[in-house]
Amino acid sequence: MKKEAVANRSEGTARRSFSLSKISFPLFPFFAFVGFFLLWPILAVTIRSLKGNKNEWTLENYRPLIHGSYFHAFVVSIKLASITALIGALLGGLFAYVIVNSAGPRLTSVLDSISAVFANSGGVPLAFMFIAAFGTEGLFTKFLKAIGWDIYAGKFTLFSFTGVVMVYSFFQIPLMILVFKPALQGLRKEWSEASINLGANSFTYWRRVVIPILTPSFLGAFFLLFAGGFSAYATARAMTVGTVPLVPIIIGTLVDGNVISNEANLGDALAVGMIVVAGVAMSGYLIAQRRANRWRSA
Amino acid sequence: MKNSRNRVVTVTIVLVLALLIFVLPLVAASEFSFRGAGGKGHSFINYVWLIHQDGFASHLLTSLQLALLSGLINLILMVPTAVLLHLKLAKWRSIVEFICILPLIIPVVSLAIGAQVAMPKFVQNSQYELVFFFVIIALPFTYRTLDTALSSIDLKTLVEASRSLGASWPATIIRVIIPSIRGGITGALFLSFALAIGEFTITSLLHWDTFPTWTVVAAQQNILGAIALSVFSFVGAVLLMVLIAMVSNHKRSKSNSQLEEVAP
Repeated sequence: MKKEAVANRSEGTARRSFSLSKISFPLFPFFAFVGFFLLWPILAVTIRSLKGNKNEWTLENYRPLIHGSYFHAFVVSIKLASITALIGALLGGLFAYVIVNSAGPRLTSVLDSISAVFANSGGVPLAFMFIAAFGTEGLFTKFLKAIGWDIYAGKFTLFSFTGVVMVYSFFQIPLMILVFKPALQGLRKEWSEASINLGANSFTYWRRVVIPILTPSFLGAFFLLFAGGFSAYATARAMTVGTVPLVPIIIGTLVDGNVISNEANLGDALAVGMIVVAGVAMSGYLIAQRRANRWRSA
Repeated sequence: MKNSRNRVVTVTIVLVLALLIFVLPLVAASEFSFRGAGGKGHSFINYVWLIHQDGFASHLLTSLQLALLSGLINLILMVPTAVLLHLKLAKWRSIVEFICILPLIIPVVSLAIGAQVAMPKFVQNSQYELVFFFVIIALPFTYRTLDTALSSIDLKTLVEASRSLGASWPATIIRVIIPSIRGGITGALFLSFALAIGEFTITSLLHWDTFPTWTVVAAQQNILGAIALSVFSFVGAVLLMVLIAMVSNHKRSKSNSQLEEVAP
């Protein structure tokens, strides 16, 4: 990769340059900061999740996670994250494609900022916006009713699983735009010209060039969206008042409820369980990312 | 010919989808937020209600303060780190890069539980503990922004020129490096600012009150007011971000010419 080449070169010059050699250990503040505020909390919660009431080592806290309602919450959370990540990846990918191909630089930078806001939106504001549009008294609900389609005729409510999927798409799609756009911008014009010169039509170009090149980036983005959707707390809390069992919400209730020792350790185990699931997804992301980079350097 | 027709079709589909998914909820919420008393007619009554709520200004102020602090700490921590990784210490780069995506991997809920277990009491007793976790949450984004900015300039040459002309390290950083990555720095600052000002999860799980957690309480009293609040937070955030994008674009196009006359 180009970056590595630059890095290697800079190491070479660093060795003979008198001035640069003085700065060797100043990464210390960074490591101290992340060590104390990121790694230590995670380590501490992991250790406590492995301790029993008498401070002995045990796996007992994890027992509730493998069956019953807590297990079910993990299943629902994973399902929600997968579905919303898929919707986000497909639609966001399409949006990003159109932005890359049809928007000028100024519009692109405005759309980037808007995407950044939308991707980080959530919680009460997002919930209320959807209530205003798709709630029982919502504008769009009324509009659809006027043209003869009552979306509330069946089982649908905004606070059901389907409703939450809709609301989550609101931040998953913009997140996909932000994450996937660089990959699309990396597609070189020469590749399309080369394949057309070699006699490919646009279908062949997509099937044999674009899709193979973009697949790793796309999968990577999917995993990233999965991890985001799986961990989302604010929106879920604003939307589901116990209507959809999700792991983050259960942890939140355990924390809020001033529970004593027993349950506290259960909360720790759930928190570590979440890290494990998100960690698996992110390993997928890292592997895909590495493949995507390999493609680009080749 | 066929290609351009395909393109028109895709663009239309995307515009319709964007309209449905993003614009419609915003428009609907705005319409509700301007409804008059008892839901009849249109007026600013809900916004007036909002501003007169107990805690509106104080919580907004708290949030602004925490967000500003976390933006600054982020820069103080990450600008030197990113610069060092680019100048030398390249072997540390992959480790730092990995640590900087950890906040995306570790669910914020889990981090919050960890913070309750691990932080000493005097840290947990101050609401400023939030600032440090906001910095952590923003880390993936600020690191990437700074890294991109640093990759786009010839840092090595700039530093060597400045040092061989007799500038000290602090002078080099303040008068050469920072001006040449100004776009990246403003970008990083506002990303972390935006993340911090809307942060809900860790704030609520650590039992602190900021603007986003206050909205939950306010929302329970008056639904139209709550919708006005949603529109306010959303439109405010979008306007802020667009403004920043425009300002930093402007700066970026100017910074090329500034390089020739690096002066305080």
